[in-house]
Amino acid sequence: MNEQTMEIKLRRIEPEERERVEIYCHEVNDTVREIAAFVKSRQGQLSGLIEGRQYEIPITDVFFIESVDNRTFIYTAKQTFETKRKLYELETDLKEKSFLRISKASVVNLMKIKSIKPALNGRLRAVLSNGEEIIISRKYVPDLKNTLRGEA
Amino acid sequence: MKLKEFIKSTLASYFIIVTLVNVATLVLGSIFRPEQRFGYEAFLAPLLYGALGLIPVFIMYSPKELTIKQIVIRKIVQLIALEFILVLAGFGRENLKAENLALIASFALSVLIIYVLVHVISWVLNLEMARQLTMDLQSYQSRELRREKD
Repeated sequence: MNEQTMEIKLRRIEPEERERVEIYCHEVNDTVREIAAFVKSRQGQLSGLIEGRQYEIPITDVFFIESVDNRTFIYTAKQTFETKRKLYELETDLKEKSFLRISKASVVNLMKIKSIKPALNGRLRAVLSNGEEIIISRKYVPDLKNTLRGEA
Repeated sequence: MKLKEFIKSTLASYFIIVTLVNVATLVLGSIFRPEQRFGYEAFLAPLLYGALGLIPVFIMYSPKELTIKQIVIRKIVQLIALEFILVLAGFGRENLKAENLALIASFALSVLIIYVLVHVISWVLNLEMARQLTMDLQSYQSRELRREKD
């Protein structure tokens, strides 16, 4: 893809045809990958890498997403995938799918939290259904309350 | 923790400390100086000790999330600073003598007890909040599952 803006064409198709997104580009670079990842996330999937190999992860399998040293990791029950996408992008895309920011560095799948317990220094911790625990910062507790009570 | 939230939680601790200082004064005073009578200015003492007790609270402040180890180390440093400030304020350099040892030790012990109680009370309040959030979470999950089925 060169520096020119991408041309966008939208075309209505017959109901029996399969809906699809095709990208015509000069090279598959990060921007193209980002667009593809966005489309996938809208369809209930995320792309993640383990040792350079790409996997499709159903969003419902994701427990939480964490940013560590400017790298973003997706955690399922047993595996950890790295993604090129930024945490704030995933937070925005997955907001409608029960994901919520609970600390500066993590976004959690609310459907995977088993219980909430107090932690040291006025914080809370989310106990996930796989037994893992992650910290909920005080700053994000009002948002969490509002979301859980349907007031967000 | 952001500064604003930190100040909010510190203020909550302040009122817990003031109440507990009142209780400690009652207990220690009844044991060591039951004959002592005070004027209205005595009402200032718990407020003052509460404010002094807040000074080392800033040892816990960090804009970054602290690890468990960092929290424990800072809590220990905070307690030592708290004992130092309050014992010095309570007795002054001239009263820090061997003959007052029992009183000083009781005072230091009551500071420790108040320190622990403040944390226990905060923990209980946090526990209640966590319990309420877990109940809200369960309702949310049932709502979302119903919505998915529909």
